[in-house]
Amino acid sequence: MAFMNARRWLYLYLAVLPAPTFIHDPRLLGLGLLLAVAASGAGRWRILRRSLLAILAFNLSVSLGVVLVGLWRGQVDTDWLLLANLRVLLMVHLGFWFVARVRLLDALAGWPTATLVATLALGQARGFDRMLRDFRLAFASRNIARPRWRDRRRHAGAQAIALLDKAQAQSTEVALAMRSRGAFDVTADA
Amino acid sequence: MHIPDGFLSPQTYLPAAALALGAWAWAARGLRERLDETLLPRLAMLTALAYGLGLVMLPLPGGTSGHALGVALLALVFGLRLAFLAYSGVLLLQALLFGAGGLTALPVNALALGLVGGATAIALHRLLRRCNETAAVAVAAWCSVVVPGALVALVLGLQPLIARRPDGAPLFFPFGAEITLPAVLIPHAFIGVGEAALTLLVWRYARMRKWLS
Repeated sequence: MAFMNARRWLYLYLAVLPAPTFIHDPRLLGLGLLLAVAASGAGRWRILRRSLLAILAFNLSVSLGVVLVGLWRGQVDTDWLLLANLRVLLMVHLGFWFVARVRLLDALAGWPTATLVATLALGQARGFDRMLRDFRLAFASRNIARPRWRDRRRHAGAQAIALLDKAQAQSTEVALAMRSRGAFDVTADA
Repeated sequence: MHIPDGFLSPQTYLPAAALALGAWAWAARGLRERLDETLLPRLAMLTALAYGLGLVMLPLPGGTSGHALGVALLALVFGLRLAFLAYSGVLLLQALLFGAGGLTALPVNALALGLVGGATAIALHRLLRRCNETAAVAVAAWCSVVVPGALVALVLGLQPLIARRPDGAPLFFPFGAEITLPAVLIPHAFIGVGEAALTLLVWRYARMRKWLS
């Protein structure tokens, strides 16, 4: 698969993804899922587990609704339950497989604006995550006893302002670095 | 309130994709000229905030999820075009990294949450700000959650009518609008209150930092 670069994987993923929405036979969807799991390589069980966890809450709530309505009407639509759950699982598995195989920023490399926004948003999201963890640990270390609600509220307010300030400072640095590398130069590909 | 992949019929997501492509092209026109080293960090920061808010979600029996959006904030600070693009990016990242939403559902989610949500916020803020700025921001934020919620519920509720087997059994989403509308709107009426409070908080921060024109 040496000829498959990140961009080609993206195109392949975009071409294959809608296919399960045109298939309405649970057996074919099951077969598709088996093939996708088999082709996912060494990390297949991790991807499948991740896909199952991602869809669990939504599909469980809808499926329970269908079961309850079915019981009330006297007939549970098991065909729909199989069809919908297999379809959603297959589509989410394809997405996680794609992300596990390809770096998103590499796939977007041909679109400078998309790369620019994705770089900043991903960097910010990771920065937010790290800062929140730091704040949480710092707050826990300052409170031997269980903190009062007033303290928690005050801490949350201070944390929110600090987060926004830090995030802006961080992304200003990134933006200046990007400027120095010509990211804001308007070119033909913009 | 994303719709996950696999619950929308091609009859729904293909026309929505065509519409969304047009809207993305409109929103991206002149984007690189507008983005500079002052605007971009603010946009990245509030986009990341919207991204974080969207990940704290509660599944709803109506086939979608409940969570704050942050789209009113983006729209009020940066305008509709940037807010729509930024929120579409948020939805794309959430779909690819967390399996929340999905690529086939992306056009409907982006149009409903990003475009309609942002437009609702801007329109209501412009209409009400002469009376009271704080109330205008709060109402705009509340409606930016509830109006897209209604739209998402309607799109889901139409699925049993749009795509079904010859015997009438649904092929995609099984519940009609009589179930999806209350299932989505009632929780979002409460989520909208939280969204309004959060939007006000960050709106004041943006005003304090003189980001608003």
